[in-house]
Amino acid sequence: MKMRAELDQTPRSLLVSERSSFRDQKTRIRAQVEQLHFNYKVSVLLPECCSAPPHLDSIFNTFNSFYLIRNLPVYELLDKNFLETAVYQGSVYGVSYRTRIDEDNCVALTPKGHLTLSLDKDSFEILGVEGKPSRFNHRTKCRFVVSVDLTDSSMAPGGRGYQRLLTGLRSRLQLKTDFLLSHYPGGGASLQALLSRYDWSEHRPQISRHTLTDLSCPALLTSDLQSCDPHSFMEWVGAVDANVSCENSSSSFLSSLVCPEPRTTVSRALSVSVCGLLLPHDVHRLIQEIRCYLEQPHLESWVCLTVHGYADSPVSWGDNEHSVLKGGENFYSLLMFQDDTYHLHLATGAHDTCPP
Amino acid sequence: MSVFMDLNLSYTNDKSRMQSLIETAAHRESLSVPVPTPIKDLMEKLPIVQGRCRPIRVLNRLTVVMSEQCHFVSFSAYDLLAVQPATEKLFHVACFTLDVDIICISVTEKRPFIIKRSPVNGAVERGIMFEVSYSAAIRDSTMRRYTIANAVSLVETCKGKNLILSSAAEKPLELRGPYDISNLGLLFGLSDGDAKEAVSSACRSVVLHGETRKTAGGIVHTMKCCSETPDQQEAPPADSKRAKQLTE
Repeated sequence: MKMRAELDQTPRSLLVSERSSFRDQKTRIRAQVEQLHFNYKVSVLLPECCSAPPHLDSIFNTFNSFYLIRNLPVYELLDKNFLETAVYQGSVYGVSYRTRIDEDNCVALTPKGHLTLSLDKDSFEILGVEGKPSRFNHRTKCRFVVSVDLTDSSMAPGGRGYQRLLTGLRSRLQLKTDFLLSHYPGGGASLQALLSRYDWSEHRPQISRHTLTDLSCPALLTSDLQSCDPHSFMEWVGAVDANVSCENSSSSFLSSLVCPEPRTTVSRALSVSVCGLLLPHDVHRLIQEIRCYLEQPHLESWVCLTVHGYADSPVSWGDNEHSVLKGGENFYSLLMFQDDTYHLHLATGAHDTCPP
Repeated sequence: MSVFMDLNLSYTNDKSRMQSLIETAAHRESLSVPVPTPIKDLMEKLPIVQGRCRPIRVLNRLTVVMSEQCHFVSFSAYDLLAVQPATEKLFHVACFTLDVDIICISVTEKRPFIIKRSPVNGAVERGIMFEVSYSAAIRDSTMRRYTIANAVSLVETCKGKNLILSSAAEKPLELRGPYDISNLGLLFGLSDGDAKEAVSSACRSVVLHGETRKTAGGIVHTMKCCSETPDQQEAPPADSKRAKQLTE
C-alpha cells in the first residue's frame, strides 16, 4: 500500500526574525507592535525574579479595560453618532467574540476605521455588498471578505456606499454577533451611547503570575552571541508559557521538547500573563517599562515578552487577511537585552500573510 | 470553509444513547448530524454547540446497503439519502443513475471491487459525494487497515474531490473532533485543504444536494400551506442560488 510521503510535513508556518536596537533610528518595533491590532495575551518571562517590581506591576494593572457587548447588530457600527464620537475621534478596536474564522461570520473594526467582514458564501450573497473572495479559499469559493474604510468620503453617512452597506446589514443580512470593544484614548466614555442600547459588560484584563524554579533556559548572555536558532528558541518559550516540562525524561511520553543548547539553569523565574482585548498602546508602555527594568543590574540580563493575537480575527498585522487552517497563531516574541538591543520573532500560521 | 458536520451517526432504538451521542457531537463542535427518525421525538431541546450560541442541527438520513439494483427506492422524506453498493456494477449504476446524495465506501471489508475513474468522475459531475467512515477504525485494528486501504485507493481515484469523512459512530466515545478527523484525512492521502473541506464545505454541499432532491431541478420548491386552498409557491431566490452552488 503506497502512502504519501508528505505525512511528515506539518502545515506551513512563517517565522520572521529580526535583530535591532531600540536606539537605532531605523527601528520598526513601534510600527510592528502597533500593526497587530487585536492582542489576546501578553506574557512576560523575567529570569531570576520571584515577584514583579512595582513599576512593572503597575503597568500590568493599568492595561485598558474593554467591553463585551452581547448580540450586537453589526449595523450599529455604522451609526452616525458612533462614527463621530468614537471612530473619527481616536482609535476603536473591535472584534467579534466566539466566532470562528473558518466557520462563522467574523467582524473586525481596526483603529484606522477599517471595517472588515469575513463572511461565508450565503451571507455574502445575501448582504449584496462588494467584496473579494478570501485568499485562502481552496477548491470552492466559500469565504468572502468585505473590507470598508469608514473614514473614506464614499462611506460618509448618507452616501451611496454607506447606505448600501447599512441597508444590507440592517434588513438583508441582519448580522448579530457578540463583540469585544475598546477605545483609545477615550475609553468607555466615547462608547457609552452604543453600549447603553445593548447588553454590555466591562472587563479588566486577567493577570496571572507563576513562579518557576530551576528553569533550564538557553544561555543568552548577550545579544551578539548566536546561542540558538529561532525555531528552537520559540519552542522553548512556548513550552515555558504553557508550563510544559522540557526535561524529556525517558519515563514520560507527554513531551519531547527540550531546552536548546547551550543551556543554563536559572534558580527561579517569574512568568506573568495578561489576557483580554489588549491595546498595542499598552504593549508599547510595557516594553518601555521593561527597558527601564533592564537598565538596573540583574543576574540575568534579558527579558522575554510574547504577544499573541486573536486566532479568529479576520485581520492580523495591518489589514492583512488572516484565517485558520489547523491553527490560527499570529504572535510575536521580543527578547530584550540590557544594552537596548532586541531579537524580534514574528510568527504566523498557514493561512496568513508574511508579518511586517 | 463552512461549519463542521458529521453526516453519519448510527441509529439505535435506545433513546438515551441517541441523546448522549448528539450531545457529544455538539460538544465536539459538529453542527449537523443525521438520524433516521422525526427529530422532535428524539429530543425536545437540541443542545447548543460548544462555543456558540445556536443549537446543533439534526437531519434525517437513510443509508441503503445495496446488493441488488431493486433494493433501491427513492425516499424524499429523508434529508439525506446514501447508498452503499456491494458490487462494481451497482457502484456504476449508483454513480450514473441513482438519485442519491452520498455513496458510501465499505470500510469493514477488504476492497470488494476496484473503484474506476470513469464512474467516480460521473458521480462528481452529478454532485454526489463519496463517504468514508472512521469509527470502524477506532473499534478494531483489522478494520483500521481496511479503512485506510480503501480510503487511500478512493482518494487516488477521485483526487481528493467530493469526499466526506464521517463517523458512523454507535457510541459517544467513537466521535472525534473536526480537526482530528481532518488530520485523519491526511493519512488517507488528502492534502491539508482537502482534508478540512471533507468535514466542512463538502458536507455543506451534500446537505444542499439533499435539499434540492426534494425540489424540481433545484428551482421550484412546493410547500403545503395552512390555508384552505393549497397553492404552489415559487421558490425564493436562495434556492436557485443553491442549485448553482452545487454545480460549482
